[in-house]
Amino acid sequence: MSTPAAANSSPVTAPPLTPERPVAWPKRTVRTLGNGLQVVLAESRAFPKISARLFFRSGNAVVAHTAPGLADLTASVVRTGTASRTSRQIEEDLRRMGADLGAHSGADSSAIATSGLSEFSGELLELLADLARDASFPEGEFERERRQKLEELKIERTTPGFLANERFRHVLFGEHPYAIVAPTEEQVAAYRRAELEDFYRRHYTPANGLLIVVGDLSSDSMIEQIDKIFGGWQAPQPEVAQDPAPPKNSGRHVHLVHLPGSVQTQVLLGNLAITRHDPDWHRTVLANSIYGGAFHSRLVVNIREQKGYTYSPRSGISALRQYGYFSVHAAVRNEVVAATLTEMFYEMDRMRSLAVTPEELESARNYLAGVFSLGVATQDGLLTQLSTVYLERLPENYLETYRERIRALTAEDVLSAARRHFDSANEQIVIVGDRDQIAEQAALFGDVETFDAQGHPL
Amino acid sequence: MKKLHIPVEHTTLANGLRVVASPDHSAPFVTVGVYYQIGFRLEPHGRSGFAHLFEHMMFQGSENAGKMEHIRLINSSGGLLNGTTNYDVTNYFEAVPSNALERVLWLEADRMRALKVDDENLRNQRDVVKEEVRVNVMNQPYGGFPWLDLPPVAFRNWPNAHNFYGDFADLDAATLADVQQFFHTYYAPNNAVLLMIGDLDPSEAFSLAKRHFENIPPGPPPPRADVSEPPQLEERHGEVPEKFGPLAAIAIGYTMPPRGLKSRYAAAVLDRVLHGGRAGRVHRQLVLEKQIAVEADGGADLIDTNGPTQMVTRIFPKPEFEPAAAIAAFDEVIREISEHGVAEDELAAVKVKIRADYYSMLEGGMGSYMPRFGLMHYLASFTLFDGDPDRVNTVLDQYQAVTSADVQAAARKLLVPQNRAVLVRKPVAKGAAQ
Repeated sequence: MSTPAAANSSPVTAPPLTPERPVAWPKRTVRTLGNGLQVVLAESRAFPKISARLFFRSGNAVVAHTAPGLADLTASVVRTGTASRTSRQIEEDLRRMGADLGAHSGADSSAIATSGLSEFSGELLELLADLARDASFPEGEFERERRQKLEELKIERTTPGFLANERFRHVLFGEHPYAIVAPTEEQVAAYRRAELEDFYRRHYTPANGLLIVVGDLSSDSMIEQIDKIFGGWQAPQPEVAQDPAPPKNSGRHVHLVHLPGSVQTQVLLGNLAITRHDPDWHRTVLANSIYGGAFHSRLVVNIREQKGYTYSPRSGISALRQYGYFSVHAAVRNEVVAATLTEMFYEMDRMRSLAVTPEELESARNYLAGVFSLGVATQDGLLTQLSTVYLERLPENYLETYRERIRALTAEDVLSAARRHFDSANEQIVIVGDRDQIAEQAALFGDVETFDAQGHPL
Repeated sequence: MKKLHIPVEHTTLANGLRVVASPDHSAPFVTVGVYYQIGFRLEPHGRSGFAHLFEHMMFQGSENAGKMEHIRLINSSGGLLNGTTNYDVTNYFEAVPSNALERVLWLEADRMRALKVDDENLRNQRDVVKEEVRVNVMNQPYGGFPWLDLPPVAFRNWPNAHNFYGDFADLDAATLADVQQFFHTYYAPNNAVLLMIGDLDPSEAFSLAKRHFENIPPGPPPPRADVSEPPQLEERHGEVPEKFGPLAAIAIGYTMPPRGLKSRYAAAVLDRVLHGGRAGRVHRQLVLEKQIAVEADGGADLIDTNGPTQMVTRIFPKPEFEPAAAIAAFDEVIREISEHGVAEDELAAVKVKIRADYYSMLEGGMGSYMPRFGLMHYLASFTLFDGDPDRVNTVLDQYQAVTSADVQAAARKLLVPQNRAVLVRKPVAKGAAQ
């Protein structure tokens, strides 16, 4: 690499990249047990730990029209007691195995996630199975968790980022369950313990489940162990109801959440877009990366590095199971709300009007290919990538072919994706801040509807 | 028990730059960091927030890589980068495919050699930093709690006690001349360590480091702020208004033994008996059993600090309990451990958890997309503060050697009023933030 002549002089231009080493995603063992539980194992042995996630393909969307957020509280209470362990025993068992555990529900799934020292793998999986099969929902723990949830909700509804997202999802999804990101306090107060247990019995079933384990493990012996621990569990696949379609929003509209005393404004805008199964997915991911999805993207350079309006502007393309959306956000000082929106639309319209330069294209393709592959380097990163593939039922070779698929994309792909999925003319604009400071600026971009932090119209 | 051994090789270049390499070929990536021994604790007196503002300036352009070039070159190589300002160090780091190692070293060397920034860059980043402070502190419920609230209550010496993010007036007063002077004072190779971790060969990595860094001239040894604290004679109290959040928030800090003392490890184990999730005594008592608080946990950063450091407990009491009631419940936990110590099985479990958490930190430590961030961070700390990067392989033995008697002795010595500070965030009158 270094020659004697060059040994002591650093060049004035950036050194070229040396030949790339291929990324080797670990081989997976994929098995469906007799009871329907899908199991995915991958070895990643740099550290003597394992990480496991047990998913059930039902989340808050399933209960959105009866008891919003109930799936999330169910997950919280699952870890607080089983037929054979008290809450305190569970926590002490975890610590004894060097393990952490969390249980949560998103819109589409519920998961119990744990990681701990690999020397305790068997015991840790037994604990996981105990929580998934025999949670006892102790009355006192349910009331305690419910109360905590109420206090958390009160705090969340003073948080600008949360309020922006809550309003945004409401506007985008209307009657569809994805509209609701959190329950009201009244809804949490109305939950009954039996409803949690019912959700658990119907949805925490092997036929509805996916178990992914990565880390310092031997796939052959672990698959046997898992069959022994989880194989005897029998429960059917739950039925799923059809959800109403989200609305078609036409024209730009402004939705202002009034948070008095704000010294900054949270801006969030976007539109319904696509899921990971859409043929445009990778094109749109690439277009997003050039627009505002990376530090060196156009929007970040414009409103942060040139204008200093904000610290952390970003855009994103997000996919839930049934629908996806495109969004752009920034927290900006109150005086530049209109100026920020102007630049967001300017950069969006530019993406829709002109092809990106060859340099931008090359740079963004390399960025996505590299950063995606960084997931292979840690157990948690690997688990996250595998979760996407198997939860979303993506092709078996998705990880292995990602780089080549991204690198095959062209400037025309980016232009067509931006035209189809950055819906400039119909963007829904949410701003959270002190209306006295920002309402006039907001009105330049469409009719303004104003709400308080609880979602009531003002 | 499986024991992990991290391969560590290190050298020092002629200009005083320390260089550490740790090969790990499990994935084709490298994590590179440059740590300068200047943090917000050590920034010049009266210039609050300058170390952090300066960190932003390090991304604004250097001799041969103009504004946005650092970011573009790393991102377009398929990698991520960032920088953070800490108590005693400021770091700059990248995770990239291993074929970009030399490119990363070139960039880091270029900005260690010469910063090329102008007034426009400074104005721009001052605006960006103000929005950073607003989004993280001024416009968030519990923003800055307790890392900005507690030090002014706990400490008396300006380096430990000032506003680390910076008063806006101090940020406004910063000039380009200040930026260059700070750079020449603190950003010399002899005040830094370069870390290279991952898919690399150490001897090749050392020769690349030599090629790019060795001709950067060393500077005079930088002045070091006196961070010592006068003796504390009584418990300290403070109160700060909470503008948005509905609950009170309490922070209780105890100053830990200084770096280098054996009792620091006993204190670290004591911290993990009290804190560390739902099995920790504080959470168990206050949240799960007495149910006085919605949340209660805490911790102490003992590996990566090199000056007065506190173990801090954070408590969010339920609204029907006064902060005093929550503090009284906490005091019972303290009394219990001081009087009765810790049982052998509890201690053994805590030590297992310490080992597991240590491995997790080494592997990732900053989310799954910055592999080996924690290993880099700890290697830097052990190199800069202890002169011994290999300590990354032996520090666990120090925790494992702590006995039940050591933990009780630490509790009796440390968990006393004249070693503690209590800060309460009080919600402003109901309705004001509705």
